[in-house]
Amino acid sequence: MIEAHGLTMRYGKKTAVDDVTFTVHPGKVTGFLGPNGAGKSTTMRLIVGLDHPTRGTVTINGRGYDQHRAPLQEVGALLDAKAVHTGRSAYNHLLAIGATHGIGKTRVQEVIEMTGLGPVAKKRVGGFSLGMGQRLGIASALLGDPHTLILDEPVNGLDPEGVVWVRNLVRFYAGEGRTVFLSSHLMSEMALTADHIIVVGRGRVLADAPVADIVARAAGTTVRVCSPQASRLVELLAGKGISITSTTPQWLEVTGSTAKAIGEVAAAAQLVLHELTPVTGSLEDAYMALTQDSVEYHSTTTGMHPDHLGADLALSSTEGAAR
Amino acid sequence: MSTTVLTSPTETSPVARPPAGDVRLTFVRVVNSEWIKFRTLRSTIWTLAATVMVMVGIVTLFSAILASQGNGRGAPISIDVFSIAASMASLAVVVLGVLVITGEYSTGMIRSTLAAVPRRLPALWAKAVVLAVSIFVVSTFAMGISLVVMALFLGGKGLAPDLGDGQTLRILVGVPLYLTAIALLAFAIGALLRHSAGALATVLGLLLVIQNLFMIPWTPLQHISPFLPGTAGARVLMTQASLDAMGQGSVGAILSPWQGYGVLLAWVAVLLSTAAVLLRRRNA
Repeated sequence: MIEAHGLTMRYGKKTAVDDVTFTVHPGKVTGFLGPNGAGKSTTMRLIVGLDHPTRGTVTINGRGYDQHRAPLQEVGALLDAKAVHTGRSAYNHLLAIGATHGIGKTRVQEVIEMTGLGPVAKKRVGGFSLGMGQRLGIASALLGDPHTLILDEPVNGLDPEGVVWVRNLVRFYAGEGRTVFLSSHLMSEMALTADHIIVVGRGRVLADAPVADIVARAAGTTVRVCSPQASRLVELLAGKGISITSTTPQWLEVTGSTAKAIGEVAAAAQLVLHELTPVTGSLEDAYMALTQDSVEYHSTTTGMHPDHLGADLALSSTEGAAR
Repeated sequence: MSTTVLTSPTETSPVARPPAGDVRLTFVRVVNSEWIKFRTLRSTIWTLAATVMVMVGIVTLFSAILASQGNGRGAPISIDVFSIAASMASLAVVVLGVLVITGEYSTGMIRSTLAAVPRRLPALWAKAVVLAVSIFVVSTFAMGISLVVMALFLGGKGLAPDLGDGQTLRILVGVPLYLTAIALLAFAIGALLRHSAGALATVLGLLLVIQNLFMIPWTPLQHISPFLPGTAGARVLMTQASLDAMGQGSVGAILSPWQGYGVLLAWVAVLLSTAAVLLRRRNA
């Protein structure tokens, strides 16, 4: 169990993690989700004491990470696949890390086999591909057979087989009653792997709920409308806590209303509707909706209206048709 | 690489076979870990080999020249040759001392190290222990070979140094001690600056450049000069004759060889303690 309380981290003027409180429970896979720069990696570094928080505390099974007798048995962390001396072989790297805890060759060989590093284990890490580096990072995290597994973007650079393997591994660990905390900026990956999700943006917790709840939050809130009189319909619907966006002429996405209400409005004004479809939210939509305001680095050429997804589910009324 | 097969976690259960023995963090184990790290890098092998080769090479060169042409006085070889050999070897030792720690920062390895040893200081001390013991053993070994070489070239001619002489013994013991302290000095500065090039430049500046700057005949500088780490530490390597010659017309304090070495150790202690405090405080 990982418990963070009021965790805050500032680097100079920039607040990377802002008063974050959450609990990661054993027995399930908890996803840590957020856009780039949201503070995921910093939070994970704070958990294992690589950074010192400006304020707040974080404990693992009730104690600070450095208070444990066998830290590697308590927490196995992959924070950065590049945290390896490039001049040393994978085998020697693992041997040296394990040696601090009296973990010997047998276990080193085991994690090398588990992660498929066998053929390259005696080669120097400097020549490793991204995926091989990632496997070494995971091997290193597994060394102490830890009660808690913390993986920062574990599937980065892995081939499809590796991705599936990581997914099975974390599910297996969680199934044994261990704590698994997994970060990603990829919603789709999380949807397949996690039971519970903590969404962060700009250093703050935006949501902390089971996957199903987060999906439900987005479900049924958007209605797709097609009408030759779309702009007229926008005028009628606007200003009622409803957000409307449009990607193509005649097509509207209405958030904050229901298909029933829109249909009635259209009928009252005698507008023609070609389509009126409630859109079931995906986890992706929920995630985008949650983090829209919190994306640190917006791409400028998204090809879509940035507020297409409706930043705050019911507040703004956007005349998307005018765009 | 694409043929690599990842073992299913259910096949090799991480639980079924937990690591054998008492898994726990201890200082001795951290030292062992640092020893594995130390001996598994090529830079270590190269710099240690360079240390031995430079020392033995210089002693061999001097002995060979003396054996072939004599020094005209029939006097035995001056033990000062070890002072020259040690100051040359100290360059290789400095590189190793710096790289042992900055290599971890430049590659990111330090984050793995500190994640395994979250209290941090044991890792720093363990590195210092491994470095100091290795340098001491290797330079003692180089001294041994040098003495054998000397005996081979000069023994028959009665030109080999008298090992029973107190001053000779002091220098023979002083060389490994000096090189060990210099390695720790470089290590401490590496730990402070966390950057290979910066730390190397700083250590070499402190040992070589600043010394020359203090040649400027300005009295305040002359008073500080004897307490520079390189100047003070090197006294343990010098014969009394050389020390006396250096002392001529000097206005600053005149330290005994061991006092000088003590000053070098004090530098090491202060820099290493500062590095320790910063290691605890800084974000890795």
